[in-house]
Amino acid sequence: MNLQELTAALELTALTPGTSPAGELSGGYVSDLLSDVLANAPADGVLVTVQVHLNVVAVAVHAGLKAVIFALDRRPEEAVVQRAVQEGIALFCSALPAFEIVGRLYQHGLRG
Amino acid sequence: MLKELFADLHLHTALSPCAEEEMTPVAIVEQALAVGLQLLAICDHNTAGNTAAVQEAAAGRLGVIAGMEITTAEEAHVVGLFPSAAHAQAAAAEVLATLPLATAVDLRFGEQLLLQADGTVCGREPHALAQATSFTVDATVALIHRHAGLAVAAHLDRPSYSVLSQLGLFPTEAGFDAVEVSAAGRETKRDRLALLGLPLVTSSDSHFLSDVGICHTALWVAEPTFAELARALRGDGGRRCSVA
Repeated sequence: MNLQELTAALELTALTPGTSPAGELSGGYVSDLLSDVLANAPADGVLVTVQVHLNVVAVAVHAGLKAVIFALDRRPEEAVVQRAVQEGIALFCSALPAFEIVGRLYQHGLRG
Repeated sequence: MLKELFADLHLHTALSPCAEEEMTPVAIVEQALAVGLQLLAICDHNTAGNTAAVQEAAAGRLGVIAGMEITTAEEAHVVGLFPSAAHAQAAAAEVLATLPLATAVDLRFGEQLLLQADGTVCGREPHALAQATSFTVDATVALIHRHAGLAVAAHLDRPSYSVLSQLGLFPTEAGFDAVEVSAAGRETKRDRLALLGLPLVTSSDSHFLSDVGICHTALWVAEPTFAELARALRGDGGRRCSVA
């Protein structure tokens, strides 16, 4: 699954439309504890979280993630979005809770 | 003889990766004097490396408490305020020992500048200050108390990095000495947080010079010192504090 397929399959709102790292997603991770994400998220994966502050982008860069999906329609501030664009991380937003988002990712073949 | 003083008990210097480089000791002190503050606390993330430099820059013109904002294992922020820079440094040594070294990626999100009083760069903190330490909330309060400090639950009204946002309920048994409400939440959240029964302070959590003094805690104390603040939090001898 690549980012285009992900966006279509889960009806995500793209917050960084011009930023779309190429290639297959390696897997996914769900957590709101950033130290946990740092230690355990798979490189080239997607993170599902409700945290929307700048450190999410920093951790995504650290962990080598391609994308972050914010659950429950949480929206980051514009400065966070700009930083993600700069760092080449795609940000998405979904009205669904994290459990639902992860379930759908799994249904579409993505694994942890 | 008690008098009313204005305190801002939570400011960052350029040592914090998320703070602007304009946050030098001399600039912070000049700005604090200009906005009428008489007592500051310097609280960088997981370190106290610039506290002595700000005390030196103040040169007795206003009180400067050496502090530190610790990120607990649960990713809650807890402010420790200490009787001296030496106490703060000793506590910081324990905290820093649990952090990994900063990588190039960490530094892309902000430099960690150790500064002299006049703002001259004299070094860089090698540990990744933006990351979580190994200390739980309870262990953090215990650490602060072990170093003779006061433990304050930082920006308790905020949706991220506060003890309430991370734990869901306030750990009364942890032994906090005070709780902090942010400038943004002090009007709307003050009354609810007061129900916790702990002294309430409000602080700017300044990362930019223009934030210094956006709010203050009023203290009725004899002088702008750590010892007097501690007595004010205890309500000792008529001393008290109030969120304006």
